[in-house]
Amino acid sequence: MLETIKLLCEINAPSGAEEPIRKAIIKQISGFAEYSTDALGNLIVFKKGKQEAKNKVMLAAHMDEVGFIVRYVEDSGLLRFACVGGIDTRVIVGKRLLVGEKAVTGVIGTKPIHLTKGDERETMPDIDSLYIDIGAKDKEDALKYISPGDYAVFESGFVNFGNNLIKAKALDDRAGCAVLIEMIRSELTYDTWFTFNVQEEVGCRGAMVSAFTVAPDYAIVLEATTAADIAGVEAGKQVCELGKGPVVSFMDRGTVYDRELYHMAFELAEKAGIHCQPKQMVAGSNEASAIHKVRGGIKTLAISMPCRYIHSPSCVLKTEDISDTFILAKAAAEHLAQL
Amino acid sequence: MKELIQTLTSAVGVSGDESAAATVVTELLRPYGKVTVDALGNIHCTVKQPEVGKEHILLDAHLDQIGLIVQQIDDKGFLRVASCGGIDRRVLMASEVTVHGKSPVYGVICSQPPHLAKEGDSKKPPQLEDIAIDVGLSQEKAKELISLGDRVTLNGPVRELVNGQLVSQAMDDRASCAAIIKCLQLLKGKQIPCGLTVLFSTREEVGGQGARTGAFSAFPTKAIVVDVSFGQTPDSPKHKCGELGKGPMIGFAPTISRNFSNELVEVAKKQGIPYQLEIMEGHTGTNADQIVIAQSGVETGMVSIPLKYMHTSIETADPADIEASAQLMAAYVLRGGER
Repeated sequence: MLETIKLLCEINAPSGAEEPIRKAIIKQISGFAEYSTDALGNLIVFKKGKQEAKNKVMLAAHMDEVGFIVRYVEDSGLLRFACVGGIDTRVIVGKRLLVGEKAVTGVIGTKPIHLTKGDERETMPDIDSLYIDIGAKDKEDALKYISPGDYAVFESGFVNFGNNLIKAKALDDRAGCAVLIEMIRSELTYDTWFTFNVQEEVGCRGAMVSAFTVAPDYAIVLEATTAADIAGVEAGKQVCELGKGPVVSFMDRGTVYDRELYHMAFELAEKAGIHCQPKQMVAGSNEASAIHKVRGGIKTLAISMPCRYIHSPSCVLKTEDISDTFILAKAAAEHLAQL
Repeated sequence: MKELIQTLTSAVGVSGDESAAATVVTELLRPYGKVTVDALGNIHCTVKQPEVGKEHILLDAHLDQIGLIVQQIDDKGFLRVASCGGIDRRVLMASEVTVHGKSPVYGVICSQPPHLAKEGDSKKPPQLEDIAIDVGLSQEKAKELISLGDRVTLNGPVRELVNGQLVSQAMDDRASCAAIIKCLQLLKGKQIPCGLTVLFSTREEVGGQGARTGAFSAFPTKAIVVDVSFGQTPDSPKHKCGELGKGPMIGFAPTISRNFSNELVEVAKKQGIPYQLEIMEGHTGTNADQIVIAQSGVETGMVSIPLKYMHTSIETADPADIEASAQLMAAYVLRGGER
């Protein structure tokens, strides 16, 4: 699965520009399942199992990543931009980007610290005062390489480090996509539906319609969620921990989860002998927020991988959590299919 | 030039621990003269033995780069750090780093998740005491590889912008080291009419101790200090910046020699080398402040390479300015002679 994750993370596809990642996923699954693409660009996959399922189960992951969009080109050739998806300004200053279809290098610059005064030194520059510098001489020169509306993403390679940790941009949610791909490529007991959705980071627009199309009885959302198990954060605020397995939510800012499915996840994890942890804070949101309200309502379970520094160029996951998530997702899908 | 910059910026030498970078510059200097190391780690290269009654010109650039220094390894294996030089705290969160332990150790600077941000937090850069590095290791494992006092650098391999400007984390001051080495290349085979010594000095970013002691030992009659200075961006005051691509900035300041500054301008004009002026009102914030007062005093001039985004991992310079700085110094040296 790690090879797949690396491949997927190295593709640049922020919300609204998912074509390259969709193509890559299709390449990974073709021959293993039937698939179609809908009007928004969601990839909907049906995988035949050994037997028909009693209940229709859908697993969902999102293809898009957070990024940037060029809004305006200054006469100086510098690019004014906005963030696509929720990116903390504190993780963007001084970072390298790949900009536009030609993927030229750009940097997010600001005034050198030496020239800041008083409060300025203790204040993060406002997003509207920041710019992307691609080294263009002026506006005309810049327009040779990019146009307003072009996207940019963090330049950040895939790294293995520490004790089985991986670092990359876009692990949210390419890791979830990889879990789905792995399931599609494996032999399944029951017929199962999968959706690779667009536009999660800008309001779960893709999931709303793909869930409508599939109309499942049960949905399982595969995600990455904030792990704050880092230095200086007290135990009660860490949300979840790397190495403690998939994270199951009882409630977040988008969804109050089905109580039965919540308990079921822990029972299945115990049976499978894998780690599993509750999300210990009512915070964040994911595609469950869209899916559980589709049609007449869909019982939805969210299984997330604990991810440090999410929505930054340096997202970090632990490999054991990814494999445990795969095991739990597969067990949950099978269980729900015959419930 | 790009290759030289690549070589120099990939060498590691945070203030006070410049030995790896020293090894690299020693090899680069060897074809031009005898290379020695002094007690503070400064690298001296005698290109032309000084003679009584003749000028002895010193070309200085600092060898060190800014970074962090490990001051504690906590019980979870996170590293607590202090700054080693004036690092810009605004660019640290979620940055990738290398800890220069027994072997290089990859790490990510912890980034506080937004849900933990108290009101106003997200508008402030983190304090250094709140910064920690995640190397993904237990305390025990981390201690096997990392000792207190080990230096940390931000990862920032060389990238090229659309018109040839180069981005790196250590352009300050390896760009100037490159200019001096290029100057020696230009002088190769020419009759040098004066004594000529190169000083690659240590610890500039923590006070200039290297230049102070190195200039004492060399005791030249004249010194050119090459460093980087602020490159113009729209958010910086124009009168404190030079424009990238418009040539080296020749310094004028009350604390350095005005005659020397005028001579440099004269040489640039005569040779048709592009240049700009950098006007300062007192201390220069460079090694010139130390070298001027070495022994009984040294007549000192300044050549600065305009650099955008100083003290971040995206320091950006134009190789053309580095070339022009080399030409200016070479032309100046060739007119040296009788005192």
